[in-house]
Amino acid sequence: MNDPSVMWIPRHFTFDIIKQTAEVMELPETLLNTVLLNLGCSVVQVMACAVTGYGFARFDFFGKKFLFGIVIMMIIVPPQIISLPLYGNFVHLKLINSKLAMYLPALAGNGIRSGLMIFIFRQFFKRLPKEIEDSAYIDGCSRFRAFVSVMLPNAGSAVLTVFLFSVVFYWNDYYISSTFFTDNQTIALMIKNLGSRLSVKLFNNSAVQVSPREQIVWLEAGCLISVTPMLVMYIFLQRYFIEGIERSGIVG
Amino acid sequence: MKKKLHGIEFIIPWLIGTVIFFLIPLFASLYYSFCNVSIDSEKTVCEWISLENYRYIFYTDEYYTDYLLDTLVETLWKTPLIIIFSVFVAVILNQKFKGRTFARAVFFLPVIIASGPVYNIISGNIQSTGSEQFSTMFSADLIGDLMRFFGIYDISEKTEKIIISISDNIFSIVWSSGIQILIFLSALQNIPQSARDVAIIEGADAWDYFWKVTVPYLSPLFKVNLVFTVIDTFTSPANPVMNRILSMQSEWNYGKASAMAWIYFISVLIFIWLAVFTVRKLFGDSDD
Repeated sequence: MNDPSVMWIPRHFTFDIIKQTAEVMELPETLLNTVLLNLGCSVVQVMACAVTGYGFARFDFFGKKFLFGIVIMMIIVPPQIISLPLYGNFVHLKLINSKLAMYLPALAGNGIRSGLMIFIFRQFFKRLPKEIEDSAYIDGCSRFRAFVSVMLPNAGSAVLTVFLFSVVFYWNDYYISSTFFTDNQTIALMIKNLGSRLSVKLFNNSAVQVSPREQIVWLEAGCLISVTPMLVMYIFLQRYFIEGIERSGIVG
Repeated sequence: MKKKLHGIEFIIPWLIGTVIFFLIPLFASLYYSFCNVSIDSEKTVCEWISLENYRYIFYTDEYYTDYLLDTLVETLWKTPLIIIFSVFVAVILNQKFKGRTFARAVFFLPVIIASGPVYNIISGNIQSTGSEQFSTMFSADLIGDLMRFFGIYDISEKTEKIIISISDNIFSIVWSSGIQILIFLSALQNIPQSARDVAIIEGADAWDYFWKVTVPYLSPLFKVNLVFTVIDTFTSPANPVMNRILSMQSEWNYGKASAMAWIYFISVLIFIWLAVFTVRKLFGDSDD
């Protein structure tokens, strides 16, 4: 890999670089930690956003327009802006370095880009015909029951879309996990600091200067490691994505 | 009164969370924007200086207003292109053809990459090693050559300029339409088979079908995508205004950073309001 002529056409194939990069990233622990944070938060966030989006789509309560304005604000405000006061908040609540610092906002529909997800759910639920709920009410369902057993199964494709986004956003997040944690191993953080980690772990010396052109080999391997799980997940999930139509029983 | 609170239980968890995790920090940042903020061992100290930060931004800071204008103009012309592109790609990807899974995965890639640190590596990569390759790929000459190759000669300079500026941005447009495509795609999935059957019975061709069935079904999501596109362009870390705000923050100038951020929100809000207003005019107000 010291041969600069190798730019676009590889000379030979090897898995060594990927193996080395995986070692530098401490892949097993990192992966476990990421999945724990990522999947958990995503599931919780999708549920919270679905419930909230449904509330906004179907009911006319006091101050709805105003509250929905807040949802729009949530989409617009980048997390970087509110992170400092939020950090102060979390220090107060003693949540720094606890996984709850990510779970609690997700549970309350305030996770990463929750505003967008609430918005998507609202638009989806608005499209579903009111009659199916009405028939559920007539059958004696409570409002919540009607939502869980009638509306939610019909929103399969929306749930899946939002879940995909949510997983990807959490997977890629390094800003929040580096702000509210002093030591947190996630894939995204590892990739972010891969350059400096490489020189420490690979050459046992942080002072070694690796030229960016050579370093790219490991960086790209890191990218591949980080992207592959998401891509595989998407390929598997998108089958249900397509099947979603046939199952949705919106007739009449 | 009871009627007024009908259904509010669905949003109560969100409401509580929003007050704690969003509104309080947001108004704190508004307060900071009128302050000289310093951080003193885990505690933030604010000193009220009223409009000083804002005055600094408009009169002293040499970059901010220029960046803001550039970003607004860029978003203005890029947003419609991204939306149109993603509608077409979604419609194509919704059809049945060989290798569809692969094609969908390709268009999903930007969603995975663009929102994470991988993007930094790749775009840095392009800068350090491959910028030539990428910029020449769609360079002005190539487009000119291509048009001459197809026998297109006598177009005005203005049209050519537009074509070139669009083709120069193909890369970034494709790059930033991953989520929009996915949203449209999932909406397309929801078009019931019956609508298709009726259209066929009525003798609609593909063109009619697109305008009379597809577009109305997608219309509520035009708004989602519009808002999302605008916001995504405005808040992407590649955006100069965001960069300026973040660099202010990393210099511990929290007061000024907050003030910049607030000016920015207000411009974005106005922009979105205008955009939504236009979409309403175009597609009607049927679904809000």
